[in-house]
Amino acid sequence: MKSVTEQDMVEGCRRGDREAQRELFEHTSDRVFRLLVRLTGSMDDAYDLSQDTYLKGFAQIDKFDGHASVATWLYKIAVNEALQFLRRAKSTRLKLQGAALELDTNPVDTTAVRLDVQAALAVTDPSDRAFLVLRYQDRLDYRTIAEIVGCPEGTVASRLSRARDRLRKILQKSYDSREENNPALHPRGSR
Amino acid sequence: MCCEQHKHEIGRFLDDELTPDAHAKISEHLKTCSACSRELADIQELTSSISDSSRVTVPSNLWGSIKHRLDAATCEKPAKPPVIRSPLVWSRRWAMAASLGFALAIGMFVLSLTNSPAQASAIDFGILLDALPLDAQKAFQKFLKLYDAQPGSPSDAKKFAPSLDFETPQTLPGGFALKSVYLLQFGNRPGVAATYGRDGEFLATIFHPPVEKESFGTHKDYPCAIGKHHGHKVEIGSWKMVHLTDPTTCHCVLSQLDETSELPAVMAAVAPRATTSHAHGHE
Repeated sequence: MKSVTEQDMVEGCRRGDREAQRELFEHTSDRVFRLLVRLTGSMDDAYDLSQDTYLKGFAQIDKFDGHASVATWLYKIAVNEALQFLRRAKSTRLKLQGAALELDTNPVDTTAVRLDVQAALAVTDPSDRAFLVLRYQDRLDYRTIAEIVGCPEGTVASRLSRARDRLRKILQKSYDSREENNPALHPRGSR
Repeated sequence: MCCEQHKHEIGRFLDDELTPDAHAKISEHLKTCSACSRELADIQELTSSISDSSRVTVPSNLWGSIKHRLDAATCEKPAKPPVIRSPLVWSRRWAMAASLGFALAIGMFVLSLTNSPAQASAIDFGILLDALPLDAQKAFQKFLKLYDAQPGSPSDAKKFAPSLDFETPQTLPGGFALKSVYLLQFGNRPGVAATYGRDGEFLATIFHPPVEKESFGTHKDYPCAIGKHHGHKVEIGSWKMVHLTDPTTCHCVLSQLDETSELPAVMAAVAPRATTSHAHGHE
């Protein structure tokens, strides 16, 4: 059930009430902006995409049917905006890929593994990244992810499984490549 | 190798997305299957590495930027859905008014007066200051975009903002060369900005009407002395944004210059007739 506050905000936004729009922004911007930073890897891009998300959300507020929370609905817009942006910005992706391959850390170290995974995440397919970020960074359940992405819950499970596999392959490739260049880095062998 | 038939369920098991019965079955299976246990451990390690606890703070000026675009859309075209365009583009507005008729033109004109962004009562420098340490030029471009900057020449700037008292000389003391001049819109009042370069070193000036409020986001503004004048400044790392305000104009210089050696001469060049000897109040 939606709270009165959320209904009020939505109704206000439908009337174009700037104060209601600001309220909705205040209630949701923390999550929306963080999601966009995680998806794009860039504060600047997240800043621009956040603007686009809210402008689109306010313009299309009449399409909000209350089936999910308004935050989830904005999340859906944000994910779409980010995916469209990432597909256009392939050069950015290549830059991130370069950064990932340049990481010169020992994966035996926990912090280094975390850094490697974050770098590998940045070069995964944007769609895979969206599933992984929504589940393992935003900790959303499958039902909410399904609503955001617009697919059945079963598909969320299979997409996550595939995304994890692809991420592991990227990491494995990165470790193998570094081990070839410097076997002393990995006394335990490849992971 | 992991049992293929269980691999899919292990992910759901870890994500706590199985029914209680299915969860119990996988739990039992894991007790006897070393391959699936390894798979579980691998996924667990991977997903815990994906989790990111770093704090991300929403930029203080994000709502301001959204509101500015909403206001611009409302001024430009009140019908739904709003089209996001630069506000206060008079020629476009009058062209639209002509096509819609005199009565609608009057209506839109009144609307524009009531909905113009901030009526120049506030200027948000947060967008500039937040991104300054990363890339000063890019941060400055964002600020320009927020205030609908249009490129121009020094003489365009004088004509555009006759109420402001400022200079955009071709060179500044210390060897800075003029790169660009911009015409800005602070609500319905004009402003001017200019950028300079010296061997890759960036410097920018902003001139705007005195306003009720200058917002610096989360950054603190301090009083300071600039030559014989009292001004105020915001410091972020090696960058300083120094303001000198007199009754007609607020002169801002964004630079990495030392405020006791090089900066006074630069300020004197861009604000040669500044009359103030006292800092004006700012929030």
